[in-house]
Amino acid sequence: MHALHYAKPVFVKNDTVLEMHHIRKAFPGVVALDDVRFELRRGEVHILLGENGAGKSTLVKILSGAYQKTAGQIILDGQETDIRNPRHAQELGIAIIYQEFNLVPQLSAGENIFLGQEQIHASGLINQREIIASAQDILDDLGAEIEARKPVSELGVAQQQMVEVAKALSLDARILIMDEPTSALTEQEITELFNTIRKLKQKGVSIIYISHRLEELFEIGDRVTILRDGKYIDTRNIADVTKSELINMMVNRELKSHFPKLGAATGEEVLRVSGLNRKGVLYDISFSIHQGEVLGIAGLLGSGRTELASSLFGVGKIDSGEIYIRGKRQRIKSPRRAINLGIGLLTEDRKSQGLIMILSTKDNICLPSVERFSRLGFVDTKEETQAATQYVRDLRIKTPSLHQQVMFLSGGNQQKVVISKWLCCQADILIFDEPTRGIDVGSKVEIYQLMNRLTAQGVAIIMISSELPEILGMSDRIMVMSQGRIAGEFSAGETTQEQILHCALGGAA
Amino acid sequence: MKKGKPIIILLVGVLFFTITTCGRGDKPAGEGFTIALVMKTLNNPFFIDMQKGAEGAGSKLGINLIVQAAEREVDVEKQMQIVENLIQRKVDAICVTPSGSKEIVPAIVKANRAGIPILVIDTRVDAATLEEAGGRVATFIGSDNVEGGRIAAEYLVKRLEGEGKVAILEGIPGHETGDARLSGFHQVVDRISGIEIVASQTANWERDQGFNVFQNILQSHPGVQALFTCSDLMALGAIEAIAAAGRTGDLIVVGFDALPEAREAILQGTMAGSVAQHPSEMGKLAIENAYRLLNGQSIPGEIPVTIELITMQNADSTSTTMTK
Amino acid sequence: MTPKDFLLHYGRQFGTLIGLLGLVITLWILTPYFLTISNLLNVAQQTSINAIIAVGMTFVIITAGIDLSVGSIVAFSGVVLASALQAAIPLPIAILIGLAVGAFCGLVNGVLITYGRLPPFISTLGMMSVARGAALLYTGGRPISGFSSGFRYLATGEILHIPVPVIIMVLVYIIAHVVLTRTKLGRYAYAIGGNEEAAVLSGVNVKFYKAMVYGLSGMLSGLAAIILTARLNSAQPIAGMMYELDAIAATVIGGTSLMGGEGRIIGTLIGALIMGVLRNGLNLLGVSSFVQQTVIGSVIIIAVLMDMALKKQRK
Repeated sequence: MHALHYAKPVFVKNDTVLEMHHIRKAFPGVVALDDVRFELRRGEVHILLGENGAGKSTLVKILSGAYQKTAGQIILDGQETDIRNPRHAQELGIAIIYQEFNLVPQLSAGENIFLGQEQIHASGLINQREIIASAQDILDDLGAEIEARKPVSELGVAQQQMVEVAKALSLDARILIMDEPTSALTEQEITELFNTIRKLKQKGVSIIYISHRLEELFEIGDRVTILRDGKYIDTRNIADVTKSELINMMVNRELKSHFPKLGAATGEEVLRVSGLNRKGVLYDISFSIHQGEVLGIAGLLGSGRTELASSLFGVGKIDSGEIYIRGKRQRIKSPRRAINLGIGLLTEDRKSQGLIMILSTKDNICLPSVERFSRLGFVDTKEETQAATQYVRDLRIKTPSLHQQVMFLSGGNQQKVVISKWLCCQADILIFDEPTRGIDVGSKVEIYQLMNRLTAQGVAIIMISSELPEILGMSDRIMVMSQGRIAGEFSAGETTQEQILHCALGGAA
Repeated sequence: MKKGKPIIILLVGVLFFTITTCGRGDKPAGEGFTIALVMKTLNNPFFIDMQKGAEGAGSKLGINLIVQAAEREVDVEKQMQIVENLIQRKVDAICVTPSGSKEIVPAIVKANRAGIPILVIDTRVDAATLEEAGGRVATFIGSDNVEGGRIAAEYLVKRLEGEGKVAILEGIPGHETGDARLSGFHQVVDRISGIEIVASQTANWERDQGFNVFQNILQSHPGVQALFTCSDLMALGAIEAIAAAGRTGDLIVVGFDALPEAREAILQGTMAGSVAQHPSEMGKLAIENAYRLLNGQSIPGEIPVTIELITMQNADSTSTTMTK
Repeated sequence: MTPKDFLLHYGRQFGTLIGLLGLVITLWILTPYFLTISNLLNVAQQTSINAIIAVGMTFVIITAGIDLSVGSIVAFSGVVLASALQAAIPLPIAILIGLAVGAFCGLVNGVLITYGRLPPFISTLGMMSVARGAALLYTGGRPISGFSSGFRYLATGEILHIPVPVIIMVLVYIIAHVVLTRTKLGRYAYAIGGNEEAAVLSGVNVKFYKAMVYGLSGMLSGLAAIILTARLNSAQPIAGMMYELDAIAATVIGGTSLMGGEGRIIGTLIGALIMGVLRNGLNLLGVSSFVQQTVIGSVIIIAVLMDMALKKQRK
């Protein structure tokens, strides 16, 4: 039976609560963490810093029991432990608050706080009153002015976060992991959150804090550990380090020269965006792109890049602003319209948005072009087959047959199918959102080479990417977005990874 | 091809399982004739009694009796399919209680063409449709449903002492049986000015519909004093509705078929009476006459089966519906 | 298509076909009355109505939807058709009316599901009651019977000794196969069922084609109603009850996944035949109707289990 109280300050001799040594996590085809170390002291706020894909999420998911480490040791309070699953992690006193909260909107705050650990009476019924009363205690103690009885759906984002914190406390959490906690909060709410965090510190709770908002880190953090490309870089005291040193550690890597980028002569303007606004998401975006040009768009999570792509493709709303395709003003209200204008979108998530897994390679490649291949409602299957065969050959898509379902292809080949799809419907303005994510190195190079071929033919490519080397290596021009705005624009060769990251973090160009 | 194997094995397995464990109702063909009895449904004690009567006669005469029915009385097409399949099976004669008086005609015509005689039980085939299609039936065995309706009406009127509000629950519209009983009832009741029919709705021969429909009638006509239903099952549903409204014993309920459960209800006073049809007698007569026909004897074109009114006085007497 | 491609495409249906053949062989062994030309033609005729409805159901299920209203649409189209015939409206027009009524009901479903964003289960469940009620209202509960021999020929007639409904059924399947494999409607139906979001992002007009598919299902129910009415020489407002279950069963046994995105029309035909053969065989063997229900239900469950197991095996 769980005690309905939260962690009280405990005096221990040894100050270290958690140690992780030689942590390795490998997925099929990619190593997410390679020999990472991490150490956490009682009552500290330890920042975990790194670019998208550096491995921060993976590391904390191992701690929270969502992933199993491939190799390495975890030592909790001096004892080597294996964290088997999320429930086990909870029992060990580790709680995690994800960016997308894990609350049930229809239930009350109190019910959410004790979800999964309800007090059961002898009669088998849940003791509602006690749950609400205890929940209220925890909330009051945190200084959160929330009624435990209120349904979560009626609470604001900051309050929901408080409920999550209370939930963690109800589990007697000694280690609290917070993933990007401030991304949805106002300044006032952030201040309140920080007060809460300080209270938790006093109670001896240790906090692992993931964020890329450097100003905040300096305000609330005690120490910071930097990861890069899955590797451990360094751990420093916040008091002893500067912002630019941090940025340097985050991005300093050898730029392998495997980007076969050729300088291409660019032609006329094909797309121009002027003053694009979407409430709360995009602010005053203006840029243009020319034939044969690659415009790289860099930025961190939440910077609005994907939302920009969806606006250009007729999926996201546009509150104000204009789009000009080949000089003419266009209203793009549906993907069909965008496709007819020659725009193709390679989505971030190819499995759920880019491909129809259950259909064949041929069907996927030809889908947007069905109208083109048909007369009077009948589809010319010969033309389809011809076209599909051509693309499979040109892009070297490895598949036993045109009729093989795409779910059986490797990531790289799947991506090639998506690209073929757009080539087949003769799109000449391509928007690539994270084109090489989750793809093996060999296929990556093929895709870069393909991009070159396309630009040589006059295709314009907008490439959204979180991989700075890719941005620097393949773009003609680079646009950095931060929090829905354009934070910086550069020509290739004029800038460095540090500068881009600096812009992305919100600093001046 | 791998994928196919498990499917065959399982389908064949299922088939063998059903055949061996569930009895085929098809005894090895001896010297006797094979006669089929196709009823409206097995979900009604009336037809179960008919089956028992037929089986009794059948075993005495050394006949292979095949009994089939659709799942529900409304399933006219399924009954037609069953008849067609039996024609394929080259049975010697088919006895049928039609679910659709007009709809069964095409199937009868097919049987005629195959030289299989048809004996119709309980519900008449629509004469006009039959003639138009050029079909023939060997005989009709059943009660005079019109007379039955009259008897029920007379008893109801007597109990009401010639005056009162009456509701009616009908069978499936277009069923000759229900139509006949209704017309008999009306013949008597329409002539009496003191009797007012406040509602006449169908409950499609089904018990739960009898409950629901009559519950609604009670709501909208709280002054109703008597109920006539064209079949007992509907009455048995209706008396539950009466009980739910707390008015048991208030209304005079007369049903039709005199099922054992209805007799119980009559003895207990929740029903006033029912018209007994002797379904098992129908079944027996059907098989016996089919046998005679197949042996080259001639049989009458109409074989009436007696009906009698069952009330509290004779409810527990010789229940001819229960065969030994 | 190379033989290997053929197997990839039609592998699942091959398995079902073998199931059907196994069933046929078993029945041939158990009773001499099964494998006669006249019985087989009977089976085909008895299956035709369900098979035609199942074509529409297959299209709907391929788009990851469901249509529970087909039985009621059969009833409603049937009674409207019947009253048209009795009002001396010329036969071809009356038939068109029957088809149009079915198509209309189906399109109402389609619009509610696409623009109204109702889940298909709910929308067609509602239509199931509405159409049934409409049929009962329209006729006052009584069947409409007695039609010209010209009309009844559609069910009772034979061309080269093959019953007309069977010929109609075969034609419908051929057309459906062509539509599914070689037209835009077919392509888009698979795409919508496979991944609706990706289909939208590939520029497919999902709303239009989804609505069309439901309209098609309704129209085919109307066609089935025409044959049923001719066969029984009567249109009953209570006709078609539970027909949706048989149609779904045929579709599912035939290998079409309820998740959408896959399925071949030939599979549905085999599925419908399996059910028809099963019913016919059990009748011939004199098995009680209670057992028949159990057997047919078991076959459906087994077929779906097989399907899921095969899918797991593939992954």
